[in-house]
Amino acid sequence: MNYQMNEFLFAMILTELEDAVGKENCSTRAIDKVTHSVDYYWLSRMWADRGRRLPEADFIVCPENATEVSKVVKIANYYKLPVTTWGAGGGTQGGAIPVCGGIIVDTKRMNKIYEVNTQGMYIECGTGAIYKHIEWAANEVGMATMHYPSSLTCSTVGGFLAHRGIGVCSTKYGKIDDMVLQMEVVLPNGVIINTSSAPKHAAGPDLNQIFIGSEGTLGIITKAQIRIFDQPEERRFRGFLFQDLTSAFKASRELLQKFKPSVMRLYDEAETASLIKKIVGVERKGAFMNIAYEGVKEMVEVEEKILLNTFKKYGAEDLGSKYGEKWWKEKITFFYPGHMMDIPQMFGTMDTIAPYDKIEEIYWAMKEAIETNFPQAKFIAHFSHWYEWGAMVYDRFIIDGKDVPKDPVEALRLHQEVWTCGVRAALAHGGVVNDHHGVGIKLGRLMKEQYGPAMQVFEGLKKTLDPNGIMNPFKLGL
Amino acid sequence: MIISKKCKQHIDSCRFCWMCHHICPIGNATGHERSTARARALGISLVNRGAIELKEIMDNIYECCTCGACNHDCTTGWDPVMFTKEVRLQAALENELPDYINKLVDNCLNCGNAYAKSDISKNLSEKIKNHSNKTDTLLLLGVDARFILPDQAQKAIKVLENAGVLFTVLEDEKPTGWQLDFLIGTTEETKQQMSECAKTLDEFKTIVVYDPNDSKTIKQTFGEYGVKTKAKVVTYTTFLAYLVDNGKLKSKNKDKTVVFQDPYQLSRDLEETDESRKVISSFATLHEMLLNKGETVWAGNILMSQYLPEVIKEVSKRRLYNVKSIGERTVVTASVSEYFALKQVKQNEIEILSIEDLILGKEAD
Repeated sequence: MNYQMNEFLFAMILTELEDAVGKENCSTRAIDKVTHSVDYYWLSRMWADRGRRLPEADFIVCPENATEVSKVVKIANYYKLPVTTWGAGGGTQGGAIPVCGGIIVDTKRMNKIYEVNTQGMYIECGTGAIYKHIEWAANEVGMATMHYPSSLTCSTVGGFLAHRGIGVCSTKYGKIDDMVLQMEVVLPNGVIINTSSAPKHAAGPDLNQIFIGSEGTLGIITKAQIRIFDQPEERRFRGFLFQDLTSAFKASRELLQKFKPSVMRLYDEAETASLIKKIVGVERKGAFMNIAYEGVKEMVEVEEKILLNTFKKYGAEDLGSKYGEKWWKEKITFFYPGHMMDIPQMFGTMDTIAPYDKIEEIYWAMKEAIETNFPQAKFIAHFSHWYEWGAMVYDRFIIDGKDVPKDPVEALRLHQEVWTCGVRAALAHGGVVNDHHGVGIKLGRLMKEQYGPAMQVFEGLKKTLDPNGIMNPFKLGL
Repeated sequence: MIISKKCKQHIDSCRFCWMCHHICPIGNATGHERSTARARALGISLVNRGAIELKEIMDNIYECCTCGACNHDCTTGWDPVMFTKEVRLQAALENELPDYINKLVDNCLNCGNAYAKSDISKNLSEKIKNHSNKTDTLLLLGVDARFILPDQAQKAIKVLENAGVLFTVLEDEKPTGWQLDFLIGTTEETKQQMSECAKTLDEFKTIVVYDPNDSKTIKQTFGEYGVKTKAKVVTYTTFLAYLVDNGKLKSKNKDKTVVFQDPYQLSRDLEETDESRKVISSFATLHEMLLNKGETVWAGNILMSQYLPEVIKEVSKRRLYNVKSIGERTVVTASVSEYFALKQVKQNEIEILSIEDLILGKEAD
């Protein structure tokens, strides 16, 4: 049924939503609409900077729990209104922008910490909790979440789950999809379900992994049990300088067959000479790498010996601990205005991941594609999440403000072209659309290029769970 | 709307920065995205670009408590409080204030306080009369204690009496102007109120300031407005610490374990954190919350309760949750305003004491 929203119907729907979440938690105010129309996505920021208003939701609701979310999606289904889930708006892919209007479900009132379970090693919380808040809750009992992305203070638990986020200690402790036990999810038809009580089992496919990364297109995650860990007895840092990326990759691959450091970050020459020089103070030519290793003190001693011996074999210069410690202290400083790229620059992070036999090739291919096709762009990269089998590349393009078209539509076109070019280069050499920021509206068009016929699995899930197509339309390529 | 170049620079830096999202006591309490520094900056920047009208963001501008948690947290020194206050000033000059704020401003101008109160309680009045003789030391109670919590004002007086301090309390105490400063910023009216207050303070050698709002205003904001006072100004808690050091306030039993709610005006603005702890530690065992001293979380106040009562209750409730989550049951405040706000939360699990309650013990009842 197609219909046009009118004043009468609008008022009727508003009363139903107010009934579901309470008048004070349902808004049609301009400030709420504009606030929920701009996330961390460059295009939304640019659009606002040019004094334009992005597509806005008609209603902003802030439910307190799954029951209220259920009521909201039932109303949305009845009136065939789009529902876009909003955590804290820190996403870079435009995943939370209500491009078709409708209802924004802001999850931040679902921020209750239900339980800090030191026996089961998890915190059960509403997914609207800012991750830093559950870190504080863990710290209060002498433990830690070990999930430390740059967006720790500005993203919700649900936001990380919806976009498959990752923190700087991922090599040892895992990605967000390794850090969750059980979840509560509200399906598009309003039914509230719980995933399996343990994340590892043989009771069929893993329901968690269907909803993690689904970006609000298959349902709304409302509660999660997030793992917590003992604080390490010891955490040590070591900085190294490699002459080239190839030797750094060989050294790192070998190291990971022996033990897992917590932090592993390798910066290409361009990023070493820019951000690392500015914030960490390394003024040397080459590829800087920071390694942190932690845990029981005796183990840390052994790991340090293995690290030094392994990296020495590949010609790494040992820079001692000071740069690594400085990096740890400043790990979030990189992302504050004044240090980070900002409007009027155009920029983006085209992170991708692949096994060791492909990842370096992907780096060079993306660098060549961007620098050749967009000579006005600067290309910098680091490699920050490592596995026994491969690593991810966090590559960024930066275009100076003077080279960004003044007309917002022209700027949008250039932005799209750079992204398409960079991601296609990654796909052509064995990479994926994205490593840990998600897909959103930014990269949806490229999902079919990555998955080919496999995309029908996602489309089938979408059609079955959300037959009216109301959940976060045009995101994730669905 | 006319905004300064400095203000614009801060707005443009904050509008797309989410880094202090976790720290806003109002945002955490409401769960509303608009109650964050970046949302406020975005709104102002869109007004400045002509995309929305000033009146559409004014409620949001008054949802900020100006506690400075965001400023304190910002690694690069951006200042959302500064631009929020500048927009309040501009709105006042452009006649764009919401009606409920205009009413509070009018009250400040007509009665000297936002609550439109002119009479103080009989008991407090009698207590003040006992200290009407001129001495070198003035105890400045402030509008919140005088008009809203006179019992606390009496306790503040009693603590000093017990310590044998000779001091004066003014029957006609002049407002320091902190309420006007919060509501409309650097207007001539605010400056005039501050100047009139400063004149009365100059008649004393030492001013002991009970309310942290007044302490911050006299010790910091007066200077920003070019208002000067010759008197030596000390916070009430600093004065109590001095009395403890000199043996005039004697430790009793320390059976109780308490946590301390740092008022941000003292801990962040005036960087005073040890004095209250010295006093509390003389009368109880102090257990620290995770977010303390400079990282303290504002627990609510009386002024904002006038127009956002339910939000302020949520703010206070969340702070009490912090007390509970470390397994404690008693919280001590050094701000009459936070004491009021915390008491508004209807719960029986947590005991809320002012620092005077703790010192006076059973005498406080």
